[in-house]
Amino acid sequence: MKTWQKIFASCCSVLVLTVAACDRAPVVTPVTLTVHNAWARPADSGSSTALYFILANSGHGADTLVGVASTEAEVTELHVSTQRGGMMHMSQVRTLPVPAEDSVTFRPLGAHVMMMRVLRRLTVADTVAATLTFSSGQQVVVRAGVRPN
Amino acid sequence: MLPLFASCGEPMRGIAIGDAEPAPPLQLTAFDGARFDIAAHKGSVVLVYFGYTHCPDVCPTTLSDWAKARRALEDDSAKVKFVFVSVDPERDTPELAQVYARQFDRAFIGLSGTVEEIESLKTAWNIAAYPEGDTRGRAYSVAHPAYTFVVGRDGRLRYLYEPGVRSEDLAKDLRKLL
Repeated sequence: MKTWQKIFASCCSVLVLTVAACDRAPVVTPVTLTVHNAWARPADSGSSTALYFILANSGHGADTLVGVASTEAEVTELHVSTQRGGMMHMSQVRTLPVPAEDSVTFRPLGAHVMMMRVLRRLTVADTVAATLTFSSGQQVVVRAGVRPN
Repeated sequence: MLPLFASCGEPMRGIAIGDAEPAPPLQLTAFDGARFDIAAHKGSVVLVYFGYTHCPDVCPTTLSDWAKARRALEDDSAKVKFVFVSVDPERDTPELAQVYARQFDRAFIGLSGTVEEIESLKTAWNIAAYPEGDTRGRAYSVAHPAYTFVVGRDGRLRYLYEPGVRSEDLAKDLRKLL
């Protein structure tokens, strides 16, 4: 990694870089998407948890969440819990709009990042991470502190 | 004129079941081989939730709220039983269900059973539960009842509580049922 990349990476929790042709200076897209108040409930290895957080878009343009990935669970997907006819359902959501100058709250009983069959035991004070990918090309790493509520 | 509602207390937050029938049978073998029978808990208020241990959102939210409500009950908590029943018998053994429930509170009871036992339970309680999403592997989700069922001290099914009920409200209501 080049020196400027190391400096940048150490300063930012979210990193958005577009590296131009090798003989030109890199283009750094302004960071407009940030994550706050990320948390997840404890889970035994092989069990499941969900990531909850506030996703803020400070940019003047809307963006769309198009993917989520993590190395910490067998399956990591964007999901929404819904209640219909006295039943709870959980549905995968492929894309989620993030309006300009607005925020989206991922919360219990609503939108969340589902992590099914986590690969290690998650206990209180651990951190669990996932990467969100947006249609703009931005990527945001969610680092969620593990706590009961 | 007497003021209206003068003697009325705060309303219950749960959905009252009009003709409170005796709770349907709930008999399952716990992880330690002991038989759990809801009928044996007459005299206690019993909360029942049908979920599954791979549930990442709704079940842990409900059981966390239960745990907070139980703490709020303090000394009265001994008179309330909190029972989590897995409706995912393909993946959840009685031991897994118990370990899962106890993650939230050591006093919680976690139960599962054979496919046949859970099917009978679903019929008796008039509830549905079925796998959804990608069921080819082991990482599927399960649609399950949204509500917490509350059985009164008389053994009758009294109230349903929505997921997301505030734990302090639940605790207040449980105190009234004691």
